[in-house]
Amino acid sequence: MGMEDDILKDFLAESKENLELLDQQFVELEQEPENEDLIKSIFRTIHTIKGTSGFFGFTTLEGIAHFAEDILSKLRDGLVQVNEEITTVLLQSVDYIKAILAELENTGQEPVDTEYLDFIVDLRNFSEKITKNVSAVNTHDKQPETAEDTEEAGSAKSAGEETSEKAAAEAQAAQEQEKAEKAQDSKAADKDVKEASGQVSRPEPKAATPRVKKKGAKVHSAHLTETHVRIDVHLLDQLMTLAGELVLSRNRMTQLASKLNDPDFATANQRMSLVVTELQEQIMKTRMQPIGNVFNKFPRIVRDLAKTASKKVQLKIVGAETELDRSIIESIKDPLTHMVRNSIDHGIEAPDIRLQSEKPPVGNLTMKAYHEGGQVIIEITDDGAGIDPDKLRAKAVEKGIISEEQARALSNREALMLIFQPGFSTAEKVTNISGRGVGMDVVKTNIEKLGGTVELESSIGVGTTVKIKIPLTLAIIPALIVNSAGQRYAIPQVNLVELVHLNPKSAKKDVQIIGNSEFYRLRGEILPLIRLRKALAIEEAEEEPQGSEGMNIVVLNAGGRLFGLVVDSISDSEEIVVKPLGSHLKNIPIFAGTTLMGDGRVALILDIVGITSSISSSGDDSMKQASGSMGAGREEEHQFLLLCSVGPEEFFALPLALVNRLDKIKASDLEFVGGKEVIQYRGHSMPVIRLENYLPVSPLPEQDEYHLIVFHMNDKDVAFMVSQIEDSLDLTIDVEEGIFKQEGILGSAIVKDRTTLFLDVYQIITMHDPDFFVMEHLAADEPARILLAEDSTFYRNMLTSYLGAAGYEVVEAEDGERAWNIFQNETVDLVVTDIEMPRMDGFELTRKIRSQNADIPIIAVTSLSGEENRQKGIEAGVNDYQAKLDRDQVLYAVSSLLHKRSMENAA
Amino acid sequence: MSETGQNLPALEKGNNVADIRAVETSQFVTFYFGKHFFGLPIDEVIEINKALDITPVPLAPGYVSGVINLRGQILTAIDLATRIGLNSSGDDHGTDSLNNVIMGNREEPVSLLVERIGDVMSIPLEKIESVPDMIHGIETKYVSQVCKLDDQLLIILDSNALEELDDRKRPSS
Repeated sequence: MGMEDDILKDFLAESKENLELLDQQFVELEQEPENEDLIKSIFRTIHTIKGTSGFFGFTTLEGIAHFAEDILSKLRDGLVQVNEEITTVLLQSVDYIKAILAELENTGQEPVDTEYLDFIVDLRNFSEKITKNVSAVNTHDKQPETAEDTEEAGSAKSAGEETSEKAAAEAQAAQEQEKAEKAQDSKAADKDVKEASGQVSRPEPKAATPRVKKKGAKVHSAHLTETHVRIDVHLLDQLMTLAGELVLSRNRMTQLASKLNDPDFATANQRMSLVVTELQEQIMKTRMQPIGNVFNKFPRIVRDLAKTASKKVQLKIVGAETELDRSIIESIKDPLTHMVRNSIDHGIEAPDIRLQSEKPPVGNLTMKAYHEGGQVIIEITDDGAGIDPDKLRAKAVEKGIISEEQARALSNREALMLIFQPGFSTAEKVTNISGRGVGMDVVKTNIEKLGGTVELESSIGVGTTVKIKIPLTLAIIPALIVNSAGQRYAIPQVNLVELVHLNPKSAKKDVQIIGNSEFYRLRGEILPLIRLRKALAIEEAEEEPQGSEGMNIVVLNAGGRLFGLVVDSISDSEEIVVKPLGSHLKNIPIFAGTTLMGDGRVALILDIVGITSSISSSGDDSMKQASGSMGAGREEEHQFLLLCSVGPEEFFALPLALVNRLDKIKASDLEFVGGKEVIQYRGHSMPVIRLENYLPVSPLPEQDEYHLIVFHMNDKDVAFMVSQIEDSLDLTIDVEEGIFKQEGILGSAIVKDRTTLFLDVYQIITMHDPDFFVMEHLAADEPARILLAEDSTFYRNMLTSYLGAAGYEVVEAEDGERAWNIFQNETVDLVVTDIEMPRMDGFELTRKIRSQNADIPIIAVTSLSGEENRQKGIEAGVNDYQAKLDRDQVLYAVSSLLHKRSMENAA
Repeated sequence: MSETGQNLPALEKGNNVADIRAVETSQFVTFYFGKHFFGLPIDEVIEINKALDITPVPLAPGYVSGVINLRGQILTAIDLATRIGLNSSGDDHGTDSLNNVIMGNREEPVSLLVERIGDVMSIPLEKIESVPDMIHGIETKYVSQVCKLDDQLLIILDSNALEELDDRKRPSS
């Protein structure tokens, strides 16, 4: 009901203003009865009140307004002349309307008082009288009688009225004269009178001209209190700016207070601080508007669009009361319209098609807004056909947006994002609704300009959801202040995930340098590091503070992708006022704006997404192999790969996530123990593996120094020895098997123009030491058949390899659909499924399996775990959720689930 | 040339009108950079300020020294010397001690960093000449006119050209 409340508020505020004007206008009207504009203006005001009260079901109010309008319409049409009598009656109506509005404001209800109903009757009579006067050109002295007749006629007309005695033909004749318009109106009138009669005992026939009654005086004294005023928007903006300045001064004061260390001053400052915060919040509220202001334009838009497209669409609006900054509301209207258009035009199917696919013929479109984590989320959901990623791929290739190879490399989610590419239109034919397919890219740009993001989710046949996240306000945001090369920079708190400080020792130990990039292993996840100095192109002339003070890493989320920003030091978090950069500086991608600090100096606000994109685009060409064109996106099949070489010609790649450490050793440090090469490493002797011993590759040439790739698995260390660590890359793994199909190799791909072999790390380690992965804590595995659904060749081979090595029989399937077929025809003991797969994804596969078999253990595996997916997986019915690369965990999960199941079966 | 011209905005161009005796004149705010003497039409100058704190902006075009805070408004500071190609003396001037000539349109004024502020000069229109083909050490596209004074050349700058976005590649530093 929130939206209705708001409308009611607006209605009351507006009506009050207009009514004040009416008093004056009526008086003027008496002076110049011929003034048409004046009559029209009054008419409009009354008409609006009538319409809105009808909408809310305020029958008394509607009744009064209706008859007043009736009288006015005659004035407007020149049928009667304004005279004192008419003005008096109209003014009375205004008074009654005001009294009702006052009551509405106080209680939200119309007043229940017979007096109002009496007045309606009087008013109606008067209106009839005028009508009659017009039609019959009556003389003045005939008036009382006529009035009485019409009064009866009016009463008689209402069907359920107990007072009805006889229908007065006269009144009907008069009504007929008024024809169409009148016919409708009288219906309303009847309703009113009927309503009235429910509570009123038969009103005494009154004199034709209603008089102001004594009781009326009481009602009129309930004058309207002003609760709303209109304020110039510029004034509000100015207030906002000043509030911003005040916040800055406050920040400065707080700094001084902590410096002065005077308790009295500190208290005073604290108090002021609170007030300033409050003040700022309140002023911010003046600029807040419910999103309903935009949403309520959509019922009409949807109706029109649906009609043009010959589709049936029902619009549902949720959360219209959600508030956000006025400036943002204005700028989201167009993007929203565009997306709604797209949903209707491309999403929702025509009624007959919907019926064929067993959906109700009327499509559902939901617009939903809500607050979440200091942001406003807007979702536009349709239950239409959904978007086919394959179609998008084909289209993108056809339009030359991406190459065929790139298209194949895209995951489904990435493919969906294609629709935001410039020059893309998914409609088979361009229609006049969705225009010429310019649009979605503009939508994305506009939303991003507001500091927001757009996400798209779609499943074929089920529907599409577009999710927009935008900040509440753009003016004042919380931010973290960091320092780099003597300057302060502000990082918007929305992007901030956590802060990590490394002492010099761990900075040296845990930060790995691979190629030109640095990485930090944060709780097992590989976190790419970006040095702010480097991003700012500040030359490293000065001594890096890292050596002595360790390393400060600000972990940031840039559009779903985490990275660490290395800064010199971290100051404080502060509320900052965002000010735009001048035109000379606008095009620098890594800055979002400027702000003033407490000491009056300027600090620059970092654009986190800008930093990542500037780094990756200015980075090396090697990135072009990756489908970097789609920008950020924590995509499933993206992996950081480590590239290394043996000799000048053999190139290898392996997932960086498996690597624990990189190191260099001298050739003289190698020892032979029991026929195997080992090295003293951190107090243990660690086996060292030469790849040529297990793979048909050229032997490691003699070198003074070798590079070690150290793995830590099953609580043991083991290392591969190679000539050179080449680089690290973030790319979509798309390997070809076949040519190099053999033990220890997962496949090959062209990386940086060289054929590169993807190593099966687990396999190679097992070949080296068959007992390496034997875990004591696991019971001996009973032979079991595992159904593995995984679309990526690379991962499928890897999973098969280590599951097979652990003694399981693995049945492979390239996608969910294939897996489903196998599941129906063969017996398996456990299912391991990827989440993102073409044709049928892991969630759907799980749901299908669960519909038949509630017991079989299902493990979902993914390259990166996310809480959202985990939740979704559990809802779909998976038993466990693991990272693909984490062999130990996956095996443990498999074994314990099988064990649990056999226990249950035994029981 | 003393530094008496500091309170410029108070001087209205209208004063001129009363002054018309025999010659029409224009008023210019003048300032120095190195040995060069520059002027800007007085109605293109908003105010003059002593040195303000400059926050450098990495990756900015080379002629932008940074941003300054002028009573809550954040302005881009343009280094006059670098902008017009006065590189000979440009190396060792620290931008921190430079004065600010705030100029341009009021929507987005910019600050022009100059070494020393001069007087406001009234110059007879007839003495104002068009730009010569070459002025030593200065890119003439930023110069709108010149005026030969007794002892030196007054270079009248083109504020629009100074403010205009530059598509040149930013220097690597």
